[in-house]
Amino acid sequence: MSSMDPLYERLQASVEGNVLTPDQFTNDLLTNFGQIHHWTPRFVVEPRHATDVAAVVRFAREHSIPVSTRGSAHSQSELAISDRGILLAMRSMGEIHGVDAKRETVDVSGGTVWRDLVHYLKRFGLAPRVLTNNLGVTIGGTLAIAGIGVASFRYGTQGDNVEELDVVTGAGETVTCRPDDELFWHVIAGLGQVGIVTRARLKLRRARAMTRTYYLLYDDVRRFLADAKAAMDSGIWDHLESWASPSPQGTKPVAGRRQVFARWFYPFHLTVEFDPGSPPDDRALLGGLHPYEHLYTDDAPTIDFFERLVPVFELWRKAGTWEHVHPWMEVVLPYDTAADYIDQVLPDLPPGMLIGGHTLLWPAKGGTSRSRLFMRPPGDDLVGFGILPAIPPRYWPQVRPLLDNASRLSILMGGKRYLSGWIDFTPDEWRAHFAERWAPFCAAKRRFDPDGILNPGFVPLLGGA
Amino acid sequence: MAHAFGAPEWAASLRDTINGSSEYRNAAAQWGVGFDGSLLLVFEPDPGLDRPLRLRLGLAGGTCQSAEFVGEDAPSAAFTLRGPFVVWRSILERKTLAATAILTGKLRVEGDTMALLRHTAASRALIHCVASVDTAW
Repeated sequence: MSSMDPLYERLQASVEGNVLTPDQFTNDLLTNFGQIHHWTPRFVVEPRHATDVAAVVRFAREHSIPVSTRGSAHSQSELAISDRGILLAMRSMGEIHGVDAKRETVDVSGGTVWRDLVHYLKRFGLAPRVLTNNLGVTIGGTLAIAGIGVASFRYGTQGDNVEELDVVTGAGETVTCRPDDELFWHVIAGLGQVGIVTRARLKLRRARAMTRTYYLLYDDVRRFLADAKAAMDSGIWDHLESWASPSPQGTKPVAGRRQVFARWFYPFHLTVEFDPGSPPDDRALLGGLHPYEHLYTDDAPTIDFFERLVPVFELWRKAGTWEHVHPWMEVVLPYDTAADYIDQVLPDLPPGMLIGGHTLLWPAKGGTSRSRLFMRPPGDDLVGFGILPAIPPRYWPQVRPLLDNASRLSILMGGKRYLSGWIDFTPDEWRAHFAERWAPFCAAKRRFDPDGILNPGFVPLLGGA
Repeated sequence: MAHAFGAPEWAASLRDTINGSSEYRNAAAQWGVGFDGSLLLVFEPDPGLDRPLRLRLGLAGGTCQSAEFVGEDAPSAAFTLRGPFVVWRSILERKTLAATAILTGKLRVEGDTMALLRHTAASRALIHCVASVDTAW
């Protein structure tokens, strides 16, 4: 009974949005996309506006209750869920406030879903500079992680393309901050540790109406990486996307147990935008690249390109794998060790693990990002790599050591884990991940969230600098 | 037939196991090619082992040329994997993955660590061979 909780009525009285109690929760509120952690909050609040968010944080401080934030809950670790605290379900704040077409910016609420924004902006011929592959996630959610997409090699992370934020800090204060402010860069990629984004002013770009995508295939990771670097450096491509794709070949012993092994190929999708009637010059664009095969060339409206993975996600849902455990292991590697790392990890990766998932590669430029907390290896040329499996829950204990070792090996080879996925760092590993940024991050936590109530249970910032 | 761990017969059995392993032959095809692939496994004493044991392996191109327990005055190897016997025994009894022990530092690597990391499949296949020897503890 909702009225049984002695704080329910007082919390509901302090906000205009809905307050839900456990008897009203749906199962999806108890976990996130990872399906690894299952927590039950004490309350779920659907805030109506920033004032509600600030009221919840002040209420939580007064009563020593933790507050966690949830967008579309695509996280896989201890984020977007709450263990006996208040879960702020931010999708109730999804307003698009206004476009400044001349300055190419838009103001949005933190709970706005990227898909809604993309479709809204189409009428202006504008688009966000960077879009994640899954458009069903919220702007506040991806800004808290970093936000990487197929245009990141040009524009950095989504967090690098923000002009201004309204943030409710852990102290319950509403603050407007910009890239010159300390708070700003502790909110961007800050895992929701110091503040909650209630409004963001995003930089946009002109988008042409059409895209042409060249589907190239590589049979050698080093040749692929050389061409990926050349493609980034050429300055002619708008979007670069790549995968590692297994072709099962039979079984072989791995530590004495026979398992299916694969020959791996590397699809590389290179996209340019163009105006109708002015198609790109294929020969000029592809000159200098050395694929194993040029499979296909696809013209599509740009809005369809942004939504290109929807059929893939729908297939995963239909197959039931959307409900499986998703311990995604994503890492940004130095260019110099990427091929060696991939050579070690892929040969023993059972292709069956990738039913309902895939293996991502994304060429990246470290110099495009100013983000302080999006940790990446030094150097400009980088390679993102991700094993994105969907594991039936009963097999998770069996698969976990493989992913653990892939994570550890990546770090030993100079990589930095991307924190949207499954992370199980020890306190020492957290410190090593943030390195010289750890102490300032801890200091920001103490300053902006003095009671340590925001998004507890993941990164142990209050364990000490 | 089970051999006592630390006996010459045990080392000879290991050599035969490695050379009979298609997993090792494939995974380690490039190990020791163009560089010295000799490896020393050091089993440090603890309550389960009263004296240190040092197992020296000559490895190249997916084969094992030599395997013998050696004293401290034996020639050094290009790579050394060192750890307490309790860790080794856990690996040999397949309770701990060798790769995990290496990556977490429970087994310490001496030599070109990056070269070893570039051949993790080879080291895993080798440790599996070690674990496959019929051992009388």
